[in-house]
Amino acid sequence: MKPRERVEMTLNHERPDRCPMQISFTPEFAERLRADMEIKGKQVHNPHGGGNTYELERALEEDLLLTSVGWANSYYMDDKPYTDEWGIGWTVHPYETLFGKGHYTEIASHPLADDAAISDYQAPDPHRPELYAASEQTIRDFKDEYWIVGVTVTTIFETAWALRGLEQMMLDMVTDPELANQLLDIPFKYHLTAAKKLVEMGVDMIWTGDDVGSQHKMMISPRMWRKYFKPRMATFISELKAINPAVKVAYHSDGNVLPIIPELIEIGLDVLNPIQPASMDPAEVKKQFGDRLSFWGTIDEQKTLPFGTARDVANEVHQRLETVGYDGGLILAPTHHVQLDTPLENFWAMVNTITNTPYEKL
Amino acid sequence: MDEKMKAIYNAILEGDMESAVESVRVALDTGIAPGEILNNALISAMEKVGQLFEDGEYFVPEMLVAARAMKAGLEILKPSLVDSGVEPVGKVVVGTVKGDLHDIGKNLVAMMLEGAGFEIVDLGTDVTPNQFIGAIRDGAEVIGLSALLTTTMPAMRETIKAIEEAGMRDQIKIIIGGAPVTAEYAKQIGADGYAADASQAAILAKKLIA
Repeated sequence: MKPRERVEMTLNHERPDRCPMQISFTPEFAERLRADMEIKGKQVHNPHGGGNTYELERALEEDLLLTSVGWANSYYMDDKPYTDEWGIGWTVHPYETLFGKGHYTEIASHPLADDAAISDYQAPDPHRPELYAASEQTIRDFKDEYWIVGVTVTTIFETAWALRGLEQMMLDMVTDPELANQLLDIPFKYHLTAAKKLVEMGVDMIWTGDDVGSQHKMMISPRMWRKYFKPRMATFISELKAINPAVKVAYHSDGNVLPIIPELIEIGLDVLNPIQPASMDPAEVKKQFGDRLSFWGTIDEQKTLPFGTARDVANEVHQRLETVGYDGGLILAPTHHVQLDTPLENFWAMVNTITNTPYEKL
Repeated sequence: MDEKMKAIYNAILEGDMESAVESVRVALDTGIAPGEILNNALISAMEKVGQLFEDGEYFVPEMLVAARAMKAGLEILKPSLVDSGVEPVGKVVVGTVKGDLHDIGKNLVAMMLEGAGFEIVDLGTDVTPNQFIGAIRDGAEVIGLSALLTTTMPAMRETIKAIEEAGMRDQIKIIIGGAPVTAEYAKQIGADGYAADASQAAILAKKLIA
């Protein structure tokens, strides 16, 4: 079965030969994996999929290939401090694990922290043809075989908080709705334009969303989500489906977003990502919403992958297949890019258990 | 509750910074004791904020605006508290551990602790074990360690180990929190407690120094 057929079946709530798989990595984990698999890479790996050449993804037998246009590509742009084209300042911060040293790029300054800067701010232009060249090539080279995902995550809230500062953005949403709307519209318009273009070009799915959940509960109230994000997300989904009714839309939020799932379904969502198991029980989410929604993720990246054993990882994959994937509707993936602190045995336990477990043998 | 105290309490709950400042001024002018304003208006309002957060009525943004109003009111009150000899309930040092720059959780904890009557020393982000040790020397009674990432969580263990090696473990209570952190992990690394959110951190810190 071709990878794209496998994904298409599962998103139609049918059971393919095996569960489809998607895995992204931090650049350092990708390097380690290349060495382990003796695969030469052409460039630094972008975990969101902008400009990737997919040697690793294809060798691992992943089923989805990601291609990203938008602010999320500002992560991991350099190994020294930089300012991205939105004017957001980044610092580079080292860390050390049992498996070597890495670095994270972290937001260090916000161009719209001062009110005075907001009215004159010019966002980057989402119509530049060069933004879409890599996606065009991905679609041309791989769409026959793979399920192509256009990535426009950090769609509204996350880019706005990078522009303004997270605390100030949240204060604005309480105390100055007009200003908050003005700020949120900047990334919303940009990413909507990008997503529409990607759908026109022929991607199979758009991956959108923002972190509105925290570890145990929502970060903002469902009421506030309804006020600022639901209407924009409804527009986003309906405009994409007006271009291609068959295109699927996946929404990302870390953490617990249980209270808004029914409304995400109501506005036309197809797939929810990443379902962090410490925040929302995947089996319970499947039970409540599995007839109307598919799930992408569910493999714990906070405990099992970095700190568990290979057996723990294999058990978790089996558990998900049995409790979530049994009738389709599941794409297995770690709930975040695989980090450098993950033992390779655990990584391979995840990959091999997914690829070697046909549904009919469950 | 007295009308003037009620005004402060409501201003904080509603996150109305200007009213909080104004109503603290009015209460002081009419001769209400600074300690009473602190305990029965500011701290009790922040207790209510914590309760509303636990109940799922308030979320992070509402907590932030309430804390901002509380802080503004406290700034007005502080000189009078000093003059009348009102002491904080304890001194807490907070910081994100070495390698971790993510500070919203730590900031919320600091705000809720301040709103519970603690003196806060915020060491900021990417704090080394030695900086925490220095803060213990300066009289902290509780330290709060925060980490968002699995790659920086091990620095919590290292910080506690460094405090032990400095021979100071017995004189300090250590509490930890952050997305991947659990009560089980707190036990494993020898912390005194774990809190799942800022409101629970304030309750935990009070319990530990009682």
